[in-house]
Amino acid sequence: MEQDAQLVQQCLQGDGSAWEELVRRHSRRIFNICYRFTGNRTEAEDLSQDVFLRVYRTLGSYRSAHGGFATWMTSVTRNLLIDHYRRTKRDRATDSLDDAMPVVENKESAGRRPDEQALLSELSAQVQVALTHLSPELREAVILRDLQQLEYSEIQAVLAVPEGTVKSRINRGRIELARILQQMGVRPS
Amino acid sequence: MNWTCEQTEQLLTDYLDGLLPADEQHAFNLHVNSCERCTPLVGSVTHAMNSLRALPELEIPPRFVYNVLDATLGPRETVNGWAAFLVWVRGLASPKFAYGAVSVAATFLMIVTVTGSINWKKPKLADLAPSNIYRNTNRQVHVAYGKSMKYVSDLRVVYEIQSRLKQDNDLPTNRENTTPETNPTPGRTDGSGPASPRQQNRANDVSSQLQVLAEEVPLLSGKLSLVSSGSLNLMMSGTLGAR
Repeated sequence: MEQDAQLVQQCLQGDGSAWEELVRRHSRRIFNICYRFTGNRTEAEDLSQDVFLRVYRTLGSYRSAHGGFATWMTSVTRNLLIDHYRRTKRDRATDSLDDAMPVVENKESAGRRPDEQALLSELSAQVQVALTHLSPELREAVILRDLQQLEYSEIQAVLAVPEGTVKSRINRGRIELARILQQMGVRPS
Repeated sequence: MNWTCEQTEQLLTDYLDGLLPADEQHAFNLHVNSCERCTPLVGSVTHAMNSLRALPELEIPPRFVYNVLDATLGPRETVNGWAAFLVWVRGLASPKFAYGAVSVAATFLMIVTVTGSINWKKPKLADLAPSNIYRNTNRQVHVAYGKSMKYVSDLRVVYEIQSRLKQDNDLPTNRENTTPETNPTPGRTDGSGPASPRQQNRANDVSSQLQVLAEEVPLLSGKLSLVSSGSLNLMMSGTLGAR
């Protein structure tokens, strides 16, 4: 975290290599948040790039006293994702679970048999589909908690809502996700 | 503590994240284990949460970082001509590359020297041609093989002489016990008469081989100087004649 703050200071002084280091350190995390929220690689890549552009432009407004750089960047990402969701809401109006075609993901296959690998990939794709059918408020809450594994206080800072609301959204998000998975025929083994 | 299904649903996240106090967690477990509605709920939500946490972290698309850097810092500068060459040369100045280059050069020099591919007094570019290197190496190998075979042959001669000298040292006691020659040479009574021509030729042959060996192997020449050619002839003649 301190290293991020130092890099930000160097960036503000015009050090391009410090900015490159920041991009390299955070690009994977930001891309994954965007992908899990949208469920689409191309959209996730475009949104991630927009995140970095916005961060670069507004780097001067970041104050390390207000929290970590990662939290601030996650907050910027979240705002862009919500904007994107609102912009594209009409396009998704006809989406339903039946239309959702799970896309098999390439999961790291170290030490797994091909049949186990196939099952895991299928489950991952189904979970991703279920995730994109959550409301954006619940989706972002479970993504930050269960995928990014942020603390409640960090999620509170990112979403700018009280901790009770954070807990409530995570709780409802998990229950709703379980219900959607059951509808899709995915049950605990 | 009376625990309800509503409480189970409301506090499910606290339970799954281990945030419930011990007494509440106990009541939660008691209720869930006996409630037909809450048991599948907790099971399915736990499964959903674990599945979510097991989702793989994806790699960023290729060139993503460069695209971001181009969009923020602007396109990177490209250098051409001499500037590009200088940048390339500067890249070679790294210690890792320098150590590698020195070790490769040392290995090459060692191989070239051992194989005798290059005449260092009059080096020629043609010496570096693969065919010349092969021919020179082949010649060097044959010369080394010939020298080693000659050295082994010379050693065999030396051992033969040594063994015969040893036998000669053992002879006097035997000689005293032997009877004098029945047909001594006229005018000679010490039994040191000249050997037969065949024996003389063999002594001369051994003597000449020793001389050759002394020239080839200077280290042995000091020891062999004791056995000078003249005395050797006499010794060999005496030794062989006594038999």
